Amino acid sequence: MLRIENLTKIYPNGTKALDGISLDVPNGQFVAVIGLSGSGKSTLLRCINRLIEPTSGRIFLDDVEITAAKDLRPIRRKIAMVFQHFNLVKRSSVLTNVLSGRLGYTNPAASLVHMFGNDDLADARSNLARVGLLEKEHERADSLSGGQQQRVGIARALMQKPELILADEPVASLDPATAHIVLDHLEQMNKHDGMTVLCNLHFLSLARRYAHRVIALKAGKVVFDGTPDEIDDARFKEIYGEDAVQVEIA
Amino acid sequence: MNGKDQKNSIIAAVLSAILPGLGQIYSHEWRRGLVILIGLTAQAALFYGVGAQWLIGVMGLIWLWNIWDAFSLAKGIRVSTAAPIILILILNLIVSWKVTDIHIPSFQGEQRKVIGNIVSGLGKPDFISQKTRQITATAKYIVIGPGAPASIKQPAVKHGEPSITLSPSKVEKGTIITVTGVDFTPQSKGSMILLGADEIPAGSFHTDKNGRFEMKFVNDRYIPGDYFVQARMVVPTGGWSLSSTLKDAAPRMFETIYLAFIGTALSLIFALPLSFLGARNLMSGNAFCRAVYGLVRVMFSVLRSVEVLIIAVIAVAAVGIGPFAGVLALAIHGIGALGKLYSEAIESIEHGPIEAIKSTGANDLQTVVYAVVPQVVPQFIAFTLYRWDINVRMATVIGLVGGGGIGYQLI
Repeated sequence: MLRIENLTKIYPNGTKALDGISLDVPNGQFVAVIGLSGSGKSTLLRCINRLIEPTSGRIFLDDVEITAAKDLRPIRRKIAMVFQHFNLVKRSSVLTNVLSGRLGYTNPAASLVHMFGNDDLADARSNLARVGLLEKEHERADSLSGGQQQRVGIARALMQKPELILADEPVASLDPATAHIVLDHLEQMNKHDGMTVLCNLHFLSLARRYAHRVIALKAGKVVFDGTPDEIDDARFKEIYGEDAVQVEIA
Repeated sequence: MNGKDQKNSIIAAVLSAILPGLGQIYSHEWRRGLVILIGLTAQAALFYGVGAQWLIGVMGLIWLWNIWDAFSLAKGIRVSTAAPIILILILNLIVSWKVTDIHIPSFQGEQRKVIGNIVSGLGKPDFISQKTRQITATAKYIVIGPGAPASIKQPAVKHGEPSITLSPSKVEKGTIITVTGVDFTPQSKGSMILLGADEIPAGSFHTDKNGRFEMKFVNDRYIPGDYFVQARMVVPTGGWSLSSTLKDAAPRMFETIYLAFIGTALSLIFALPLSFLGARNLMSGNAFCRAVYGLVRVMFSVLRSVEVLIIAVIAVAAVGIGPFAGVLALAIHGIGALGKLYSEAIESIEHGPIEAIKSTGANDLQTVVYAVVPQVVPQFIAFTLYRWDINVRMATVIGLVGGGGIGYQLI
C-alpha cells in the first residue's frame, strides 16, 4: 500500500511542481499517471523514492514513512525505477547494468570491486532471459537498440525484487511496436509477480490498454482519478486543454 | 523589474558618471556594478603600469557606455555588454603587442643564419658514430751537434704494416724533412705529430690509392739529440657504435622520462580521489559538501598557479639537488592540473545513470563506482597521458634548477 498525503514540491526557482497531492495506491494495482509535460508527473515519481526531496507532505510505503527515513537504502531497494532514457551505464556491460540492480542489497565493500554472489549472478541471467537478452550479456549497453536497452532497464528493476515499480515515461523514446513489448513486460510483472506499477504515460490509448486506474495531473494537482473508461472527451479536454486532440497509438 | 523597483534614470546616470558602476549598484545590480567598478579600475591601473596611459583616454568610451548602461538599468532595460568587452579585448591586444616587443623585421639578416644553424644542429642529432681504430708509424731523426748520437737504428720495416721513412735523417734547425709513408689505408687523411714532452702537430697528409703519402715539414729543433715523429691515422673498422654523447645523455634521458612518469603517478594518486570531491554535480547535496567542493577547487587552483620551476627551487632547497626534487615539483603541480581536468570530466557526465543507480538503493560510494567511474575512465586516461607528455618536457626544464634528469646535464 502506497499512501501519499498532501505532497507539495516547490523548486528553488519558485516553480510549484506538486501542489498538495493525496493518493492511496493498493498493492498490485497498475496505475497510469497522465498529464501534459510539466504537469508534475516526473516530480511525483521522484519524490516517492526521494530522488527529489519533497517540500512538504508525507509518503508511506507499507506504513513506513519514506519522507521521514534517515537511511534510504532499505526503502529504495524495494522501489525500482524505469526511465524514459533508460539510464543505463553505457560503457558497462549489459550484465553489469543488470547486476547493479542488486546494489541496495549487496555488501557495499564487495560490490565496489564488482563482486556479486552466485545467487545474484544466476538471478541476473534468468532476468536477462526473461526479457530475451541473455545472449547480449557481455555486450556494451550502448551497442543495444533503444528497445533492448529499455528491456535491460526492466531486468535491472527485476533484480531489486521490488514491491513498487516507478516507470517514468518508459516508452516515450520507443516506436509503437517496441513500446508494447516493454509495457507487456511491466504488465507481466504486475500480474504475475504482484508488483505495484506507477507508470507515467503520454498516450491515453496506452493507459486504456494497460492500466487499472488513471490519475491525471495538471499544474501539480490531481484533476482526475478513476478507471480508464471514465475518461470521455470532456474529461480529456479538462486534462489536456481545449485544443488537444486524441492521438491513438496502435 | 516591476514599477515599484524602478529608479530615477538621471540619478543613476550621474552616479555612474562620478564613479563607474555606482549607478548600477544604485539599481540593485550589485554584480554588474562591482564588475564595472573593479574591472575598469584594474584595467586602468594595468594600462598605467605598463606605460600605456594614452589608452586610458580610449577607455572613456567604456565610461560613456557605463553611464548609458546605468541610465537604462534604472528603467529596467539590460543593454548588451558585447561592445565594451570587445573594446577591452582590442585595447589589451594593442598593449600586449607593445609590451612583448613584437618586431617582425627582426627575422631578417643575421638572425636568419643563427636560426639556420640551430635548426640544422637539431636536425642532425649525434646518436651513433663509426667504430674506429688508430694506426701509427714512428720514425727517428737526429739533430746534429755535440752529444748527438752518430746514427740511429730505424725500426725494422715489416712489409704490409704502415711505416714511415725520413730523408734526410740527420738535420739542423731549419732543414726541410720529407716524410714518406707506405702501407697506410688508401685515400685517407692523417696527421703528423712531433713526439716529445708535448705532442706538437707537424701538419697533415693524404694517402693515395696505394696507401702511400709524402709530406714535408720544417725541423725547428736545435738542441742536439734524437727525436721522434709519428704518423697517425684514424680509420673506420666497419660497424657503428653509440656516440659518447648518447652514452652520457641516455641514462639522463631515461631518468627524465621516469621522473615525469613517477611525477604523473604521484599526482594521479592524490588528484584522483580529490577530483570527486571537486566535482560540483557530486558535491551539491548540502552546505558541507559545497564547502568541501569550494575548498578542493581553490586548492587545485593554488597548486596549479605556482610555476613548476618555483616549486622545483623550493623542493631543491628542501631535499637537495637531484631527481627527487624534480619529482616533488612535478607531483605537486600535477595534483592541481590533473585534479581540475578530472573534476571537469566528472562534471560533464550524464546525470541519468547516477539517478538510476541511486534509485536501486546504492550508497554514495557504490553510485560513484557504478555510475560515475565507467563514464569518466576514457577521459581520465587521456588526461593522464597528456599530463605525462607535458611532464617530460617540464622535467627537462626542471633539471636546469637542479631537479635531475637531462636538464641537469645541460648545465
